[in-house]
Amino acid sequence: MTASPTAIDPAVTGRAAALDWVELSGYPTRRNEAWRYAPHKKLAELSFGPPVALTTSVPDLGDLIPALDGPRIVVVNGVVNTELSTMTGPTGLHLSSLLDARREQPDRLAVHFDRVKSQISDAYMALNIAFGGDGAVVRVDAGATLEVPIHIVDVEVPDETRNASCTGVVIELGAGSSATVVETRIGVGADFGGSNIRTTITIADDASLEHVLLQNVPASHMHLSNIDVTQGANSKFLARSFNLGASYGRVAYRVDLAGSRAHADLSGLFFGFGDQVLDQQINVVHSAKNCTSRQTYRGVLDDASTGIFNGGIDVLPGADGTDAEQSNKNLILSDRAEVNTQPRLEILADEVACKHGATVGQLDESAMYYMRSRGIPAVEARRLLINGFADQVVDEVSIESVRTWINQRLGHDDV
Amino acid sequence: MLHVNNLTAAIGGKQILNDLNLEVGDNEIFGLLGPNGSGKSTFAHALAGRDGYDITGEVTLDGADLLDMEPEARAAAGVFMGFQYPVEIPGVNNMYFLRTALNSVRRARGETEVGARDFLNVSKKAMDLVEMKEDFLYRSVNAGFSGGEKKRNEILQMAIMEPRLAVLDETDSGLDIDALRIVAGGVNALRSPERSMVVITHYQRLLDYIKPDFVHVLVDGRIVKSGDHTLALHLEANGYADFENDLGDASEQSFAGAQS
Repeated sequence: MTASPTAIDPAVTGRAAALDWVELSGYPTRRNEAWRYAPHKKLAELSFGPPVALTTSVPDLGDLIPALDGPRIVVVNGVVNTELSTMTGPTGLHLSSLLDARREQPDRLAVHFDRVKSQISDAYMALNIAFGGDGAVVRVDAGATLEVPIHIVDVEVPDETRNASCTGVVIELGAGSSATVVETRIGVGADFGGSNIRTTITIADDASLEHVLLQNVPASHMHLSNIDVTQGANSKFLARSFNLGASYGRVAYRVDLAGSRAHADLSGLFFGFGDQVLDQQINVVHSAKNCTSRQTYRGVLDDASTGIFNGGIDVLPGADGTDAEQSNKNLILSDRAEVNTQPRLEILADEVACKHGATVGQLDESAMYYMRSRGIPAVEARRLLINGFADQVVDEVSIESVRTWINQRLGHDDV
Repeated sequence: MLHVNNLTAAIGGKQILNDLNLEVGDNEIFGLLGPNGSGKSTFAHALAGRDGYDITGEVTLDGADLLDMEPEARAAAGVFMGFQYPVEIPGVNNMYFLRTALNSVRRARGETEVGARDFLNVSKKAMDLVEMKEDFLYRSVNAGFSGGEKKRNEILQMAIMEPRLAVLDETDSGLDIDALRIVAGGVNALRSPERSMVVITHYQRLLDYIKPDFVHVLVDGRIVKSGDHTLALHLEANGYADFENDLGDASEQSFAGAQS
């Protein structure tokens, strides 16, 4: 075990407050709408705490992650591994470990961590704030346009302590800047463990961010992620999540459209096998006028897997001229699989256009027959149809090597 | 090449084909005409192997028993059906679909697969035949295609698959005159001594472009009249009323038989 949290970070009060929050509010249960389908007993078996040093050698990342041109920060068991990381990048980009950044610029980072009670959504977020020591910080200067993607890789290698590391990622885009950040979460080993990663993103006026989340930890792990985004006026946020690994994989977004004419476009794919539970909790908050948001999520559930899409659109008073859409389409491949899809719309402003729709279906029998009549065997036709359904999310990713990696992960051919 | 003996097909207890008999020789094109609900599409699907029908009788292609085969095996045996309503498959690239289809059939026949570059040449030739632009290959199968584009895509597939027997189910429906000319031109170009075609249609119009060797009239699930292409002209002028009246008694008997 490395140093205790008090030693590694001066923001003791914030950490203590977060622990107090847990003490006071307790852990979520099935009665919490956002945690209804989570395996609470199993989550309680995880040991959340300060980073646990790796007892084995660092695994070979090789094919576990997409090959990207550009700088990267690799975090292993909650601690930045400088040997695997390339902290230098193009002009206008500043990369550092979270540990260094909080030590050197505590005031600047405080906004991401010193949360008032109402900003903490649940005990796991509080634990992340309380115990999170290290992680990645990405800052992009105003006006900078970054041509290469920034890769943040989180590697979990749990041991018999059932450790789940609490890691922080901070992304700040200056006014008028533009960047792509890929967060890949992987793990090694068959030991039970987990990761609890909290990403806070601020996108200043006129800036644009594509944020790709690749969750592919082993099936023996649980993964909790929280992505908290605040957008300035005329800014653009593109979120693409691929929730693929873990026995319980949770991807939670809270996007605050805080400046007028901001645009948020969130899409994602969850693809479950075995008895995986893949949970998407999406909250888009329109707090400024004339903002647009899109949520486009697809689920494919095989075997006895469970998918959850809980998508919220909150239009706050005064956010007139809001244009929000949400769609969730699901493909169920087995009679033991299930999907729970729920739109939540709360509209407290005027002149609002809000659309939502959800579908749950099985493989299109007429398409199966059509393909088979062309000589394509049933197994292959099924695979083509499933891939075709999933590809419509994959195609939204702008980086080819990321698309290739996802296709390989899903057992697709590259087309 | 194709023998159809006493073919019956029922769906949900409703008899659609009644003891249908048909012989198709090599290098023949025949038109299959009939009123709505006479069983034309069911005949096509019975050959292609669609699920959900109760089928009896015998259908052989070059001696092989088709009725025992899965749809993909029938395709490998040389059956191609041009769909009246081609299915949209969003997310599946047309070229990938076509190449997978061709190579699946070739694999089933023990032939070598066609590589990506060779396939591009094969598909280019087929595209010229139906006057399709290259971007067709990169779109999803039939997704967002116009009615005419879908039917051209069917003929494109036929050109690539090079079937022994093509059954074209109302390939003319929903086509304007230009699209009809293109589709018919494609079909005519694909005539071959090793290939026969069944052209199912409502109207004489298509048969102006694709001149059949024989015309069969299907009413109430059986062939009530056969002749040369002038039979189609007769039907265009007089409709099906003659045949429907002729058949009244016979069809009642067969329905009674099916229920007992």
